[in-house]
Amino acid sequence: MKKYLCLGCGFSYDEERGLPDHGIAAGTAWADIPDDWVCPDCGTPKSGFEMVEIPYWSRP
Amino acid sequence: MSVSFVLRAGERGFSRLVSSGPNASYISGHPDGLITRHSSFNFHEYQSGIAGFGCIRVFGDEVFSPGGTGYNMHPHHNFIISAFVLGGALTHVNTIGKVDELRAGDFYVFSAGAGGKHAELNIGQEDLRVLYLWTLPGQLMAPPSYLRGRFDAKANANRPVCLIGNESGALPIGQALKVSRLVTARNSTPVYRPSPARGVYVFVIEGEAKIADIVLGARDSMALTGEDRIEIAARSGSDVLLVETAL
Repeated sequence: MKKYLCLGCGFSYDEERGLPDHGIAAGTAWADIPDDWVCPDCGTPKSGFEMVEIPYWSRP
Repeated sequence: MSVSFVLRAGERGFSRLVSSGPNASYISGHPDGLITRHSSFNFHEYQSGIAGFGCIRVFGDEVFSPGGTGYNMHPHHNFIISAFVLGGALTHVNTIGKVDELRAGDFYVFSAGAGGKHAELNIGQEDLRVLYLWTLPGQLMAPPSYLRGRFDAKANANRPVCLIGNESGALPIGQALKVSRLVTARNSTPVYRPSPARGVYVFVIEGEAKIADIVLGARDSMALTGEDRIEIAARSGSDVLLVETAL
């Protein structure tokens, strides 16, 4: 399980948590999200995401 | 001396963004509005270069044409975005509630944290020249914040001055990061002392500087690691930005 941040608007994705509110089940790998899925924050399609892996995650 | 990379001015990514066509909602201004962006690291359509260095992910050397050109209000999370104005005037508007105008020597630190939007505009009559630095934060989802500072080159010549970081007179930042600027009024060889556990990205804004026997001209840059002492042989009239980052 990895955590990512997109360079576009800073959208964050934690594979462990998924995004159940947006139809992505917890535990879904980033690679398994369909290509036509769009960023819920800025509308960029998945093909335009620039994901960087973040090695840490401090939960508020 | 451990040199991670040397990046010459002409090797950087280059984007030409116009305010009409596919970017019309993203780029503001008159239909002839134009932003040019040289990227030191991979960003948007430029993906064939260096991905980043330490917590630095974006370093953009940008020029906005006059008359309202800029980036319309758009969202960010977590990234800490800093801008250093080199010429012209930058109007910065953010959802923390700040409307600010910055001129040459002024800089800001905008931490998007849990969520913040901003617009970056040139509403003046001359080109806006500005450097944008994006860094990953030390802690995610922090409350958004905005701070601004001013670098006085005349009062601080010939030595590196800390603009951002954990030093008195500098803007604090939620990351193991330190940004310093060196402007020389004569040929000088100051020494910059980083923490050896960190890396330093050196970007020559103007002039010429020699580090580790490598001569950097205007807009050339390099990255060093494992140093506790960096000697910068800078010609008179040089302007150098140093970004020290956790690796």
